Amino acid sequence: MNKQKHSMQPIPSHDEAVRQDFVTDFRAFLTDELYPKITPYYKSRIEPEFIKEHGRTPEDKMEVQNVMVQDSAYQSWSFLQRISQQMMFTSVIDTVERTLEDLIKKTKEYSTLGSLELDPAIQIPRYLTAYDIHQQPGGYHMENTKNDISAGVVYDISLPIYSNDAMGDENDLLAQATINFIKNNINTMPKKILDMGCYIGNSTLPYVRAFPESEVHGIDVAAPGLRYAHARANALNASVHFSQQNAESMSFESNTFDIVTSCLFLHETSHAAIPKIINECARILKPGGWMIHLDVYPFQRSVVEPLYDFLKDWEVTNNNEDFSGALREMDLQGIFEEAGFSKETIEFTSAEASSETNKGYTGDFYLKLPVYVAQKMA
Amino acid sequence: MAKKIILPRVAKGKNLVYLDDNSVDNILAMVMTLTQEISVLTDRLNTIEHLIAKNGQIDLDDIDNFEPDYQLQEKRSERRKSLLKRVLLPIEKALDSK
Ligand SMILES: C[S@@+](CC[C@H](N)C(=O)[O-])C[C@H]1O[C@@H](n2cnc3c(N)ncnc32)[C@H](O)[C@@H]1O
Repeated sequence: MNKQKHSMQPIPSHDEAVRQDFVTDFRAFLTDELYPKITPYYKSRIEPEFIKEHGRTPEDKMEVQNVMVQDSAYQSWSFLQRISQQMMFTSVIDTVERTLEDLIKKTKEYSTLGSLELDPAIQIPRYLTAYDIHQQPGGYHMENTKNDISAGVVYDISLPIYSNDAMGDENDLLAQATINFIKNNINTMPKKILDMGCYIGNSTLPYVRAFPESEVHGIDVAAPGLRYAHARANALNASVHFSQQNAESMSFESNTFDIVTSCLFLHETSHAAIPKIINECARILKPGGWMIHLDVYPFQRSVVEPLYDFLKDWEVTNNNEDFSGALREMDLQGIFEEAGFSKETIEFTSAEASSETNKGYTGDFYLKLPVYVAQKMA
Repeated sequence: MAKKIILPRVAKGKNLVYLDDNSVDNILAMVMTLTQEISVLTDRLNTIEHLIAKNGQIDLDDIDNFEPDYQLQEKRSERRKSLLKRVLLPIEKALDSK
């Protein structure tokens, strides 16, 4: 049951640990036992009713949504899914709250490698303060005490529960996929790498290991994540330069990075922020440098079955991920071109992680991941 | 003594209604938390059984230091899932196609 994966993580008490285990099993139960029933249920019970009334099948996800939210069986599953996320957070927060003071003290010992630069004057963008993204109480940025790291610790120890242990001991499966993509498709030995929206650095550290000669930077707006990221990187013996910056307007010099990357970041910003962030990527990259964003949703507007389209959006409405649906409707190709990325190099494709790092998980959700790639004009 | 740090436990966001009204949603949430606590109790009892079977007695610290091996973890996981199956049977039945 050893839940402590590195020395900056807290050790749960007996009851806290098994309370967290319950949430893991609850989520697995919902995914394995109840979720597979939804499509057959819809086909045999919901759709026929719709046809009876309208003389045709639903045209789009909105029409599916209108009937599904009226259905108590579907809504029961949906509600259980939503509260499983809340139970995940409350079950890890007990551990973090109990151990927080000691953990904060420990960050002092774990501070020699790399660097940490905070900006107390930074403005947290409204899209991060309006509501708590994916229902983490207090969001990414809330400060509950001096030198707080609690939100970062909560993120680190809830990821294995969220992913049913698919992310690997260092929660880095997704970044491993991006690195595979870089090694297989981009012929480069990067000297300087930036990870935007790095938070606790779980997706940043793999770059230090994959490109030991390079200088690796991570930026985020949320201080509790960055403080923890720096201590965590030290606990895991990796040197990263973390700084508190808004990706919409960064202090890095122009033309200085070989690779700018992000992981699960773009879908948590906003309509107005996206072009600014992409412009910043173009500005700080060297001519010929590469931008690679890994995100949850494939970026193509193919026609999909309305039911599938509706279910795919579950997190948007039910897990406080409001922008992730809208991102898919944006003209990223146009925004990339406008920013100065060369048209022929822009690709919305996927990166693959190997299943070595996770416990036999084989579904696409964690192994084949959408990436948005482009090269700055030389 | 320093002031105890209390972390927030409720996320900010829209209040959504899933079932008939918020009170039905709340009852289902409470049932799931109670189920979780039954599971915690069962695991704790199981830990105590293992410690007694091994040592003939227990030292309270042993409970927090107990680390179930892989096999025991799998067994517990199975038991939790059968608990969930029993508690959630009405919902599972409602989702059956026929
Ligand atoms: C889902 S987390 C991703 C963390 C990490 N990259 C990972 O792979 O797990 C998204 C992060 O983006 C950060 N973020 C959102 N908007 C930002 C912005 N404009 N500038 C910098 N960071 C931002 C949030 O604070 C949050 O830490």
